[in-house]
Amino acid sequence: MAVVPFEYNLRSLFVRRSSTLLTVIGIGATVAVLAGVLALQQGFARLFSETGRDDVAIFLRPGSSSEGESGFTREHAETLMKSTPEIARDEAGQPLASGELYVAVRLRKNDGGETNVPVRGVQDLSFAIRGEQFRIVEGARFKPGTDEVIVGKSLAMRIPHAQIGDVIVLNLTPFRVVGHFESDGPFTSEMWGDLDRMTEALQRDGCSRVIAKLVDGADVAELRERLENDKVSPAKVQTERQYLTAQTIALSAILITLGGFLGFVMGIAAVFTGINSMLSAISARTSEIGVLLSIGFRPWSIFVAFLLESVLLGLLGGVVGCLMALPLNGVRTGTTNFQTFTEVAFAFRITSDVLVPAVVFALVLGVLGGLWPAWRASRMRPTEALRRA
Amino acid sequence: MGSIPLGLLWQNLRRHWLRTGLTMASIVVAVFLVCFLRTLIVALNAGIEASANNRLWVQSAVSLFVDLPLSYQPRIASVPGVEETCKFQWFQGTYIEPSNFFAQFGVDAAALERMYPEMRLVEGSFAAFVANDQGCLTGSATAQRFGWKVGDVIELEGTIFPRPDRTPWTMRLEAIYDADNPNFDKTMFFFHHNYLQRALESGEALGNQGVGTYVVRIAPGADATTVMAGIDELYENGPQRVQTTTEAEFNRQFVSMLGNIPTFLRSIGGGVAFAILLAALNTMLMAGRERTRDFGIMKAIGFRDSTAFGLLLGESLLVCGIAGAIGLALYVGSAPVVATAISRMFPGYRATPETIATGAALALGVGLLAGIIPAWQAGRLRPVEALRQEG
Repeated sequence: MAVVPFEYNLRSLFVRRSSTLLTVIGIGATVAVLAGVLALQQGFARLFSETGRDDVAIFLRPGSSSEGESGFTREHAETLMKSTPEIARDEAGQPLASGELYVAVRLRKNDGGETNVPVRGVQDLSFAIRGEQFRIVEGARFKPGTDEVIVGKSLAMRIPHAQIGDVIVLNLTPFRVVGHFESDGPFTSEMWGDLDRMTEALQRDGCSRVIAKLVDGADVAELRERLENDKVSPAKVQTERQYLTAQTIALSAILITLGGFLGFVMGIAAVFTGINSMLSAISARTSEIGVLLSIGFRPWSIFVAFLLESVLLGLLGGVVGCLMALPLNGVRTGTTNFQTFTEVAFAFRITSDVLVPAVVFALVLGVLGGLWPAWRASRMRPTEALRRA
Repeated sequence: MGSIPLGLLWQNLRRHWLRTGLTMASIVVAVFLVCFLRTLIVALNAGIEASANNRLWVQSAVSLFVDLPLSYQPRIASVPGVEETCKFQWFQGTYIEPSNFFAQFGVDAAALERMYPEMRLVEGSFAAFVANDQGCLTGSATAQRFGWKVGDVIELEGTIFPRPDRTPWTMRLEAIYDADNPNFDKTMFFFHHNYLQRALESGEALGNQGVGTYVVRIAPGADATTVMAGIDELYENGPQRVQTTTEAEFNRQFVSMLGNIPTFLRSIGGGVAFAILLAALNTMLMAGRERTRDFGIMKAIGFRDSTAFGLLLGESLLVCGIAGAIGLALYVGSAPVVATAISRMFPGYRATPETIATGAALALGVGLLAGIIPAWQAGRLRPVEALRQEG
């Protein structure tokens, strides 16, 4: 079967360049909106799930799904830390586990509004568990048992009085900022201090959760099963990766639904535009189609040729859309994590999970926009097509 | 400007009915989408709109997630200007599945009716709700969502307040409320704070004994600012400082938690408008190119330049205007259905005149911008050149 040379389509796109350009940018804008929403979702989801560790376990109170809801008494937490054989121990034989208090504290933002800042009270071993994941970038760690705090880098940019040497008042207790830290996970939006001092200052009892480093090869599923039904000290156990991934479900679902809805609706409009553009291209080339048909090209070849032309338009639109969305990569933004109602800072991320769906979407738009015009072109009768010239 | 032959304008539109139809369909979609997005942003602020100015909210100044002691309530009630107080404890129980989320509050049942004159009961009575310690009261939206009727027994699994024996919290639906103000939240679920408190005291349930927020009704004529200051002063030195705000301010803090989401929705709307402008411009340029010969003839037989200009601009405005009207009709017509579908996240979704005006302005703006370039080109056309061009 003779195939219409691809160059023919390329040239014809170039000949009607103003129409091609407008169609491509139109599809591009649609693709860019979809890519933007997906990039937001990626930035948020990856911040949580990529940094979660499989060798760190999170213990929550049964029934709670985030540390904001969870709570243990100190005795309960101690029992969990001391009597769980799956928890690794340090050289001194101490279990590598730490009780953590988590409170969303209301603080002023630089721009004048208020925000819920995650404040975490930790015990000494939290740092040993975090290891390399946690880095002091300026100043030093707080001294245990003192009213000192360290502030995550992303948070330090967004709230006043968070520079080293400044004082932040939590409820009634002034805390001195002694360091800034960075971490691979969402912790960089947090403020950390000593567990006991935080519990007292914020008038809380006990702690929110227990984190622990697991021994190599620990069976988390078995541990979960056992502690869930424990009579003395029940707990809900997850690996940190499982926990952090679960934290992003609500917002991810919203963003993916929003992206899908917008893509669908805007896609309809883009397909209509594509059909228009192809129909006008075909009507301008009626005589050429007549010639092609009369020199022996099959209708099927004509159909493929025009469909390809439309797919090419879609592809160009996809590339333009991705280029339009690209500047978003790395742009920092903040939103509320609805699981804990605290503000999380993160950046838009253009990943393959953004680009691949965006380009596929653009190709689908091209196919849908081209099917019908291409079919119409292929059904022309050579004599009539030639006569209309 | 000479008069524009309307018959010709209409004929031109029909000449490429398919293209005109497709362009109009794109504009319909765009107008609908922009109106939809704008309504979402407005809906986010619905809570603020529905705020009453005689209600104040007392919460911890430290964190919304830290409870205030129960001992605060009588002291707050004694502040001059305070007429009544009511506990509001966030419960967050799970009804069958976590995705069935709705806001639940443990309240002083007896105070609720006077605190919320907006609530109009459509089933059951306040008296029955108050009389039953394990009774509950919910909004029409939530009742409809789960098909509840008065007398139904509702079981909630505790998350913040779990019960070690794994039994659910059990309540009987005593009344359903509705409200005339469209912005008033019809998804809330109220039950007796007593029921919660009793279980916590006896050890049947675990969790902090306290109250997240107290809502305060001020006496008619009392000055809200003075009352707020009076309440805040009580606990200036601890143990837990409080912050009293007007209801509007209280609701605003939840909106501000959304951070950049409204900006984000606005940028998407901008993207939609931009894409559609290009589509309309594309169509009008095609139309202009095709009519070159027509306009040449018209000018040759004595029509003015402005007639050609007006014909194309008029066509663009007409296409966008009709499409805009259809898009707006779609937006207004679908609003009740959409509102039901997204009532959980955007309880205040409804078509407003401001949004309709925005949609109309968008459609006509696109029509004007898309029409003006080809119209200008057509106006400047020299008849000789136009006629020389092949049709």
